[in-house]
Amino acid sequence: MSKSVEKLLIDVGSTYMKVSTSGHVEQHFRDFNQDILDDLVNKCGDTLKRFEKDDVHICSSANGGLTTLIIGVTQSFSLKYATNIAFNSGINIIDTILYQNIEDYSVPSEPVDVVIIVGGIDSHSELFSDSLYCYLEQLTYSNIVFVGSEKDAPVIKSKIDEVVVLPNIIDNRLHIVEEHLKEYLTNLYQQDIEGKEDIKHLYDITNNQIFSTPYIVNKALPHIDARFAVVDPFILLDIGGATTDIHYSKDLVDENIVTENEYDRLVFKKLGVYKSRESLIFSAKDNEFVYELLMHLKVTENILEEHSKRATKILMQLAIFLVLCKTSHYRKAYINLKLLAINSIVFTGGITKVLNQEEVEDIVAFFYKKVLTSEHKPRSIIDNNYDIWTLGAKELEACQ
Amino acid sequence: MKVVTGVVGNDIHVVANRLIDLSLRARGYEVFNLGVNTYLEEFFDAVVETGADVLLISSLNGEAEGWGREVKPLLTQYKKLDDVVMMIGGNLVVGRGDPDEIQRKYKSYGFDLVCHQIDLNTGLDMLETHLEKRTQESNA
Ligand code: B12
Repeated sequence: MSKSVEKLLIDVGSTYMKVSTSGHVEQHFRDFNQDILDDLVNKCGDTLKRFEKDDVHICSSANGGLTTLIIGVTQSFSLKYATNIAFNSGINIIDTILYQNIEDYSVPSEPVDVVIIVGGIDSHSELFSDSLYCYLEQLTYSNIVFVGSEKDAPVIKSKIDEVVVLPNIIDNRLHIVEEHLKEYLTNLYQQDIEGKEDIKHLYDITNNQIFSTPYIVNKALPHIDARFAVVDPFILLDIGGATTDIHYSKDLVDENIVTENEYDRLVFKKLGVYKSRESLIFSAKDNEFVYELLMHLKVTENILEEHSKRATKILMQLAIFLVLCKTSHYRKAYINLKLLAINSIVFTGGITKVLNQEEVEDIVAFFYKKVLTSEHKPRSIIDNNYDIWTLGAKELEACQ
Repeated sequence: MKVVTGVVGNDIHVVANRLIDLSLRARGYEVFNLGVNTYLEEFFDAVVETGADVLLISSLNGEAEGWGREVKPLLTQYKKLDDVVMMIGGNLVVGRGDPDEIQRKYKSYGFDLVCHQIDLNTGLDMLETHLEKRTQESNA
């Protein structure tokens, strides 16, 4: 019989650090003048001392994620499938290029973490030619992966140095095949986290692999009803300092891409209230309903320039509103969720420390009324004790 | 020989689509069936991804005309589809209509073979004749 040992779970975010022991969660603001490990030791040294390296589990969302550029031959298949897989692996897409028009696209000036090339079913060939190689010569990237027709793979390999060739993401019935590319991207993401100097030092206190936080949260979703009275279907919003993640079950999407995962995830890299505060404000100003929302909250737009507790609250409220807008039919984004069909919205992340139930419900109701012109009221559930993350971390540990 | 097929637009009449799939396979074609409710862009994109030789579109519920007019403008946005045989069949107008007039109209939309209320086997025989003629021409 195995004895259940108490575990220490640590989440390093861009803004907060959370440390959880059985039944108790402590939370601290990050001190950016210190290395993460030093910061952690200073703040929770006593707790850390109580645990063996084997019993410490750490996840992090502090690295902000990887960027990708996708080159594919059609919008309906190659680009759509690769985009779907990249999003679900937590990767930020900086652009998608329709190959036949590649000469018309400008080359991104900033380096790209990974380039994905895709096109054609396995029995088709010669989908790419010199214009691809010319484009790539001008681009700065760290990784490149080919997931198109297997017949084209040898040519691609001979023309592009260090290209990784994986099985086609389009099968012979034109359906999506997720697993290989997803695994590759998830591993890159993982390596990126581990490669960050700051994170590397954390291996001084754990013998376990350090995972990305969204991955952990995703693991918790199928078990969420163990902790909360969540009524299906639901969405989960993780609103933090640098990013906002939305997790949703597949049946909420109109898209008929059939995949094996029950839950998908979308990361809005530029919607956060601290690190990406500027871009949050920018997207808010771009939204026609926001002024009305500010009026509803009885503040003026000057609040956006303030650095106060009140301003943080307003930014959090804006973040909820903007994410809901971005996934509704009102804004044509990457996905449109059936928001009128959901019964619960679960909130987790830094937001739960800033807003109370009433303040959250107020925004949700405003969104449904103004944008969807509906009286629909999904239940708002606030995970203010980080139960979801604890659940995910435990789930993962159980799988290991 | 590869064929992409499906029913265009918001059309859910599925019976003919199933028969077309079976008949094409029985005649030895490799079939990519996009099913009902398929938009023009998806048809063209499927041809690009598969390298299909033939695009066979069905329309049953009376929407064909509207989509037909969209074909040429959309095709100009594709750089590699010039050699594809374009075929359409089913109920191509609302009600009856003059067969010659329908032929002329859909050919002007960019279709090579037009099968308004023509039985499937007759239509597929027409396709075979067309393909044979094309091979002969390119060999000549
Ligand atoms: C069954 C049926 C339905 C069912 C469909 C169920 C399903 N999921 O398939 C239901 C009840 C849902 C339905 C709905 C509607 N229907 Co209806 N439906 C029929 C019906 C009775 C039979 C269709 C059928 O399955 N036939 C059997 C198959 C094997 O034959 P077929 O479809 O004609 O196909 C043959 C040929 O056309 C040919 N063919 C087809 N495509 C191609 C392509 C090529 C290249 C070639 C060579 C040949 C070819 O091959 C087949 C075999 O020979 C027909 C009337 C009729 N008797 O045809 C109306 C009919 C097709 N429907 C019609 C209409 C108007 C509708 C609705 C708009 C009604 C409404 N107001 O709601 C909706 C539209 C729904 C939608 N979004 O598409 C009209 C279309 C009118 C027009 N085009 O001029 C018809 C003709 C009835 C009529 N006489 O008015 N319908």
